[in-house]
Amino acid sequence: MTADAQFGWSGTIGEVTLGATKAEGGTRRISYRIGGGTTLPFMEKENSSLTPLIAFEVCDYPKTWSPIVRNYCGDLVNDLCAWTKTADTTYRADLIRLHLNSTRQRDFSDIPAVGKTVEGVLSASSLPLIIEGSNEPKIDSEVFQRCGESGQGERLLLGTAEASHYRSIAAAALAYNHSLIAQSPIDVNLAKQLNILLKEIGVTRDHIIIDPYTGALGYGFEYSYSAMERIRFAALKGDSDLAMPIICSAADSLNIKEVREADPAMQDAVAVSWEFYTGIAAAAAGAEIICVRHPKTIGMLRQAFASMKARPGPAGVE
Amino acid sequence: MALKALDIYKLLPKKNCKECGDPTCLTFAMKLAGGKADVDLCPYLDDQAKSVLGATTRPPIRLVRVGVGERFFKVGEETVLYRHEKTFYHPPGIVFRVSDLQTPDEIAVVTRRVRDETFTRVGTDLRFSGIAIENTSGSPEIFAKTVAAVEKQQAHLPPVLIAKDPTAHSAALVHCGTYRPLLHAATGENYRDMCALAKKHGCPLVIRAATLDGLINLVKDCIAEGVQDLVLDPTPENLGAFISRSTQIRQLAITRSVPELGYPVYLDASLTGLQDAAIVLGIVKYASVIVTSPLMPGPAKASLTLRQNIYTDPQKPIQMNPGLYRVGNPEKDAPVLMTVNFSLTFFTLQGYLESSRVPCFMLIVDTEGLSVLTAVAAGKLSEILVRDSLKKFGVENEVTHRKLIIPGYASPLSGRIEEATGWKVLVGPRDAAEIGEFLQEAWKKQG
Repeated sequence: MTADAQFGWSGTIGEVTLGATKAEGGTRRISYRIGGGTTLPFMEKENSSLTPLIAFEVCDYPKTWSPIVRNYCGDLVNDLCAWTKTADTTYRADLIRLHLNSTRQRDFSDIPAVGKTVEGVLSASSLPLIIEGSNEPKIDSEVFQRCGESGQGERLLLGTAEASHYRSIAAAALAYNHSLIAQSPIDVNLAKQLNILLKEIGVTRDHIIIDPYTGALGYGFEYSYSAMERIRFAALKGDSDLAMPIICSAADSLNIKEVREADPAMQDAVAVSWEFYTGIAAAAAGAEIICVRHPKTIGMLRQAFASMKARPGPAGVE
Repeated sequence: MALKALDIYKLLPKKNCKECGDPTCLTFAMKLAGGKADVDLCPYLDDQAKSVLGATTRPPIRLVRVGVGERFFKVGEETVLYRHEKTFYHPPGIVFRVSDLQTPDEIAVVTRRVRDETFTRVGTDLRFSGIAIENTSGSPEIFAKTVAAVEKQQAHLPPVLIAKDPTAHSAALVHCGTYRPLLHAATGENYRDMCALAKKHGCPLVIRAATLDGLINLVKDCIAEGVQDLVLDPTPENLGAFISRSTQIRQLAITRSVPELGYPVYLDASLTGLQDAAIVLGIVKYASVIVTSPLMPGPAKASLTLRQNIYTDPQKPIQMNPGLYRVGNPEKDAPVLMTVNFSLTFFTLQGYLESSRVPCFMLIVDTEGLSVLTAVAAGKLSEILVRDSLKKFGVENEVTHRKLIIPGYASPLSGRIEEATGWKVLVGPRDAAEIGEFLQEAWKKQG
């Protein structure tokens, strides 16, 4: 007899391209085409989708960054280009995610600096780039416009569009052919609603990555986990408004009590455990880009993803 | 196909003898229909009725108990593939492994750690579940001695015995046979001997095979030998194999497509060489017994937290209904703590209040599910809302004092709340974890 579970999927996760190589009109050394899944994560009989990508997060205003990362990376955090380069060549991330958190300062207005920062990061590493821009209606339009322009041709991923503000970011993405991150607060219906809003103003499915918002492990992660599962489930059942790849950034992980108050000698290890446990669970639920802030999490995730992606021997079905 | 309660009732003796524990045959039939009772509880069913009912009314995944006494755990009886469809009921036992080649001191340290280590989160004590003893030496005598040494610690932890050789199990069971250890593992070669031991001692038995078909055949063999409490070890060679086999087993079991796969799953987390990742995947992807080497503090807390998260009932809403909630049995002089109706805030605070053992009232105001910080920033939490909520939920009639504790992050509103309500405002801590201390000190002091 042969035992084989049937799920009856009819949908496919849409594909989104991150980064552009020379042949594709950019300067990246690699581009990724993510999505394409046809069943539950890591259940494919033949590999039709990529191993989840690991993005390392850097920022242009390290003062507000986690002290754990600042301690671990040392002076590097004060030199964004060197930090980016290290993330690429030493930490070996798949992607760089730049947080322009300088724009979150009160009365920020130095828009030209934003362009310079983006150009600097693009030249420091030839990996595809995710940019997290401002969150202030007064400057959003200019900031995203400048990001889009500085990364023209590079097929950036711009973040983060929310239902309350998505127009500036969508305008920049449309004008310069970049993709964007659509974030909704841990709810499959709100995720769908935002994707429809984006569709209505002309952002196509192959330019959207869903961010269902990731609560830290122990602080609501289970809601995020289920939101990811529901999105993936709806997509496989044929809902094309939810059939986009998912990004997970458990940004609060390094700020929670368990990590903050860990024995100083163990703090890095605890921080890495927290990021790692969240990242593996999110990937199992369907996330295809996992963002981390601690360099040591990257290698562990990569090794685990390779094993998750490995196919079983001639098991189960004979 | 599942049978309806009335169809089942027709097959029952209709004597209302109560011997199954239910008052009538009809209520027993309803339980059977819901997968909440076992056919074997009825002593008057003939074999034919049993076989008809057994296949359709038994829970799709058998409930298996490991250990005895206070620390026993039960696994199985799950009904869904996704936790959001209903909930996951029985969290996996995470069991620390020792080897019979380790020194008695090393083994005692691990045993005491599993016995004593407690990690309290949101008012719940989280612990590791048991101790697995592995027969690495190959010698039944050394194995038995090690098991005896573990039991000498009087930790009363659910044991898992890991040995290839039934003789080793037999020797070890002399020391722990009455504690319902989980035996690992029966294979195609040794299942007769392993079944005999499981039957003799009334223990659950893990069966091991690398293919689903192999597991199915072995389940049939073990049932023919008279052992029902089985656990399946799909012995994954990599993490992908685990996800794939465990998910298939769950799906085939809950849809009752392959009843032989309706048993909890066992995972040796070290098998793939990536122990932490295996633990995560075991927790989220349907493992019920996870064996691991003793964990460092980071993975220890992360794994217990993840298990707690994933096995939380997802039907608890993100928003709570606004209202006045009681913690313990508060009297008229009990403190009143105001906070928002974001459920994570609610449950976190409630957990810490419960562990503080100070009976009190929680006044939950409607911020549309926003957390304190966001609600203050967005202007959703205002003195008007607090005033109206105090009135609406009749707080004035519940307590004789007029003092309101507000969250630390709402401190900018304290003056305005005092003016609008006439209540004296005490600003509590920002972190709910400090509320116990606050109640002991600040509240009692101003008594």
